[in-house]
Amino acid sequence: MKIGVFVCHCGSNIAGTVDVVKVAEEARKLPDVAFASDTMYACSEPGQDGIINAIKDLDLDGVVVASCTPRMHEPTFRKTLERAGLNRYMFEMANIREHVSWVGKDKEANTKKALDLVAMAVAKLTQGKALISKKFDINKRVLVIGGGVAGIQAALDCADGGLDVILVEKTTSIGGKMSKLDKTFPTVDCSSCILGPKMVDVAQHPNITLYAASEVEKIDGYVGNYQVAITKKATYVDWDACTGCGLCMEKCPSKKSTDYFNEEVGTTTAINILFPQAIPKKASIDADFCIKLIKDKCGICAKVCPTNAIQYDQQDEIVTEPVGAIIVATGYDLFDYTKYGEYGGGRYPDVITSMQYERLLSASGPTGGHVKRPSDGKEPKTIVFIQCVGSRDKSIGRPYCSGFCCMYTAKQAILTKDHMPDSQSYVFYMDIRAPGKLYDEFIRRAMEEYGTQYVRGRVSMLYPKNGSLVVRGADTLLGKQVEIEADLVVLAVGAESAVGASKLAEKLRISYDNYGFYMESHPKLRPVETNTAGVFLAGSCQGPKDIPQSVGQGSAAAAKVLVLFSKDQLESDPQVSVVDIKRCVGCGKCIETCPFGAIEEIDFRGMTKSNVIETICQGCGICTSTCPQGAIQLQNFTDNQILAEVNVLCQQTLEKSFE
Amino acid sequence: MQYLNELKEKIKENLPELDMVVGWEQGFDSLRASPLFMRTEDDVDKMIWGPLCVHNLATYLPSLKGKKVGVVVKGCDSRSVIQLLQEKLIKRDDIMVFGLPCTGVVSLRKIQDNLGSLDYIESTEVDGDSLNITVDGTNHAFKLEDVAANKCSRCQYHNALLSDVFIGDPITEEAEDEYTDVDEFEDMSLEDRMAFWVSNMSRCVSCYACRNACPMCVCRDHCVAQSRDPHWITQEDTVQNKWFFQMIHSMHLAGRCTECGECERACPVGLPLLLLKRKMNKEIKELFAYKAGTLIDAKTPLLSFKVEEDNINERGW
Repeated sequence: MKIGVFVCHCGSNIAGTVDVVKVAEEARKLPDVAFASDTMYACSEPGQDGIINAIKDLDLDGVVVASCTPRMHEPTFRKTLERAGLNRYMFEMANIREHVSWVGKDKEANTKKALDLVAMAVAKLTQGKALISKKFDINKRVLVIGGGVAGIQAALDCADGGLDVILVEKTTSIGGKMSKLDKTFPTVDCSSCILGPKMVDVAQHPNITLYAASEVEKIDGYVGNYQVAITKKATYVDWDACTGCGLCMEKCPSKKSTDYFNEEVGTTTAINILFPQAIPKKASIDADFCIKLIKDKCGICAKVCPTNAIQYDQQDEIVTEPVGAIIVATGYDLFDYTKYGEYGGGRYPDVITSMQYERLLSASGPTGGHVKRPSDGKEPKTIVFIQCVGSRDKSIGRPYCSGFCCMYTAKQAILTKDHMPDSQSYVFYMDIRAPGKLYDEFIRRAMEEYGTQYVRGRVSMLYPKNGSLVVRGADTLLGKQVEIEADLVVLAVGAESAVGASKLAEKLRISYDNYGFYMESHPKLRPVETNTAGVFLAGSCQGPKDIPQSVGQGSAAAAKVLVLFSKDQLESDPQVSVVDIKRCVGCGKCIETCPFGAIEEIDFRGMTKSNVIETICQGCGICTSTCPQGAIQLQNFTDNQILAEVNVLCQQTLEKSFE
Repeated sequence: MQYLNELKEKIKENLPELDMVVGWEQGFDSLRASPLFMRTEDDVDKMIWGPLCVHNLATYLPSLKGKKVGVVVKGCDSRSVIQLLQEKLIKRDDIMVFGLPCTGVVSLRKIQDNLGSLDYIESTEVDGDSLNITVDGTNHAFKLEDVAANKCSRCQYHNALLSDVFIGDPITEEAEDEYTDVDEFEDMSLEDRMAFWVSNMSRCVSCYACRNACPMCVCRDHCVAQSRDPHWITQEDTVQNKWFFQMIHSMHLAGRCTECGECERACPVGLPLLLLKRKMNKEIKELFAYKAGTLIDAKTPLLSFKVEEDNINERGW
């Protein structure tokens, strides 16, 4: 075998701490290496031309490039090989940047390790084989999980692009967190006025099938051919018959039901429609509070319903939808501030979250838009906002900035003044983070035009005094302690990953970070892709985002799906497991361990054998380490290839101990 | 030879429906038993039963796949049958299990250690708890428990756990197996343990009798030990290679090994091979609370996939 080795300088990224010339010289001495050189930028056009010329001039069988991580440039170089007429899998990459030059400064040690990695790549390539991709048909339907503003945008863009869209929403109405907001920054326009038309578009779009009160149960299949099982949760109302007239809500005697939409500011009825603009505008029964469902008494809603839509015996139903791609837009949840003892830990009724305050401000909220504090219903005069509750605080495991709290706090301070001109707002903040178009100007307006007092410092405690709450904190700019007697304290709670995000990630086979936010494929260059082909991210499920960013991501994810579906067939990755039928004893151990259900039992001339379904196999390799007789081998990562790497690594004697 | 006549009757009764029944007969001398493949009633009459029936006959079952086979099992052997069934290496409909209660089998190696040589056995008699062997004109009496296999002293499963026909009265006494032998070995220093295995592995003759006798070793012709593709092990005669093979064997048996001790019994140079496998099983027991070969419907922990294991905290954050 004739192998060419190209050692990249990557400017000074590699050459700064690795003697690349020496690595190339030493690589030339390795068995099977017919050519070795160093190159300034292997990925540049002259760099790639150099590889192509060497392949053609020397009739090379394979190429090793020692440069950066394969995450970015492996596809680049594979295409280079193809242009030179070689199979794209006769290529190995030795990562001497992220694994060598960027992690150590000892040039001698780095050079040695770089050579080790090159030798391993060469050894692996000598055992390599040409692999050919297969093509398969795809189903051009898309599943959008989550009906918040990001999911709505993604669904509308996909649908407008001509795709069939399945939109699954956990609650009984789409709209998400945005539908709970009164106004939006930095323009202070009405949230439901700008979201409402989009929600109506979803309902009316012929290409969108909406499953509200539904959750994704199970996902099988692979990019282009997913089978999604969706649980339609029992609402105890026949939604085909329900007209959303609201008569049932008026008559329902169980009026102390938890009002989730209004963030438990007030209560609602057991049968209810979430909010006036709900899409779909259908009633549903909260089984935890319905007297009929708990005690088998009452039944008033069934009596008053003009269309006989009430079905107390309704059961969860599972529907299966075939789709080709999935957009995840499951959003976020709010931090539980009761973890903070200094803010009362939930003991004081007049300490509320920013979302609860949003409902108090909203004209469609429980108070009709009149700010009344929870304890006695009085209008507050002095309002203290505390920022960074559950953000930028390592002590409670939330070191990240939630990003939008500075902005919504300023908005709420402005709205407070609008609602109650004689009120005074104070904001305790750590830093003001307002890096968006018109954002900083908006903060300044809150300070300068609306007279909001901004106090830079943290609050150390709250305590009740004469019916109000004394907020004691530090003013770090004045360098002294301040105490403010507040009628109402609003906590700017931060964002955290949605409840159940990790479970859904496992169903989708995507990864998530330490805080449960889904991992994008590349933080800068692939922000809406995941590492699972055909699964895309939009909105706050990937990290806290405000409305413009979420909408942007919704459109971006839709664009990615439209790109994916611009072809009628996709190519499968040939780096999958393959069963050597002679060796297979048909024990089925691989079938049991495969996390993807990619291995099936087949009858081969009367004998039981295993067979890998290429398109489902994700190339994880669990089966290959399970099979005792080595009958199942992951292509391009065969036992022989790995052993060749180990052998070459273990044979080398260290000239110098670096311990 | 308690229960032998009843066993023979039962086998004869069922023989017409079976291709064969595997049991034991006397081997080339009175001490050594040998596996017996019974196809006719005359064959059945040759059968023996008792502490000399050391072999685990379940080992033959995978290679007789497709035939209707009866097999005579002791308690420990039955675990191998269960594990084979669980792993779908044999079919339940194809086998008929004749189970017996067993009070223990002898270790020929222990007897040899006492006698020096086993080459001149003239007669062997089992009488209750004692064993009388006449060698070269001299009678040697042993208490059975002194020459019993190590596995018998910690036996939890005297009675066959799985049987279509059970002969005899079940034994109710059970010993606890706390893996004390493994603990004791692990108390040795790392250097001593290394020296122990180096010295033992240097005696290995790479005959693969351990593998061939193992009921759970089903790769046979495709064993990685002798394969060039994938080329895991070279044929070089080195301690490393031999030890590497034993390590692979142990890893392949982790949570599958039913601890029948056939590897150790078959080893011509007496290597303590079961210790390696018991170490793995001890870990499996502690981590997954699982014991191989006790339930057909169970799943061997290392042969199944779970996103999150109950006892492995992969998300310590």
